[in-house]
Amino acid sequence: MSRLDSAVSEVFEMMLERSCHPMEGEVDTIESRIVARIQFAGAVDGECLLYASQTTASVTAEALLGTPSEPHDPMVDDAIGELCNMIAGGWKSKHTSPGSNCTISIPAVTRQGLEGYQPQFGTKFSRNYSFQGNVFGVVLAF
Amino acid sequence: MRALIVDDSAVMRKVIERALRQAGLELTEVLQASNGEEALQTLRENQGSANPLALILSDINMPVMDGLQFLENRRKENLANDVPVVMITTEGNEGSVLRAIAAGAQGYICKPFTSEQVKARVLPLLRAA
Repeated sequence: MSRLDSAVSEVFEMMLERSCHPMEGEVDTIESRIVARIQFAGAVDGECLLYASQTTASVTAEALLGTPSEPHDPMVDDAIGELCNMIAGGWKSKHTSPGSNCTISIPAVTRQGLEGYQPQFGTKFSRNYSFQGNVFGVVLAF
Repeated sequence: MRALIVDDSAVMRKVIERALRQAGLELTEVLQASNGEEALQTLRENQGSANPLALILSDINMPVMDGLQFLENRRKENLANDVPVVMITTEGNEGSVLRAIAAGAQGYICKPFTSEQVKARVLPLLRAA
């Protein structure tokens, strides 16, 4: 879990110039959510899912781009996908050795329905994070 | 100075452009492509331009044609082979880095990154070019 916390923190500090803190409890209370998914294959088989409300997603896009974003702007989905991509990539680089062969997928983003992790994976980390009062969730399953 | 940014994420293309400007590059034009095939087409269209590209930044993990295939095809077609290429990607594994260097990349930046890291990787390449 500390690797995931570290990966999330690095993305926010380096790309958004904001601090981000882990919260108690598992991901289950984010409503009207946008979900991004990255899949791992090779040395690690698994996936990383990021859940954000439309408000949090808009704030995240604004922080990344430096310009305001409307909640239904496609750039908001793009930003959430990239956030998931960087968190997943950061976690992967901490979890696997440099020489190992582990690929990650292109991010898939949906606003329709609830996306859960696939149950075949044995290990699951689930945590909410907060930045400036905005909450999002990350689930890692592998 | 003209640069080409190749990334399937429009958000990331904007973030990279901003980082280049923060690094002090005086960009007169930033061309954009969302995958390797589009990037090759952009290079073909810019062959013989009076104002050639000075820099290419490319993601690796993209649909249609990834960044490694883009570099390999660029070399095969002899397109802008003298222009420095920096890969900006979450794919930090050794195999991808080595394949990118073998295909002609001169620099490598892992996402997430700071504008200072971009500056440190890019400026020396532009001075050497």
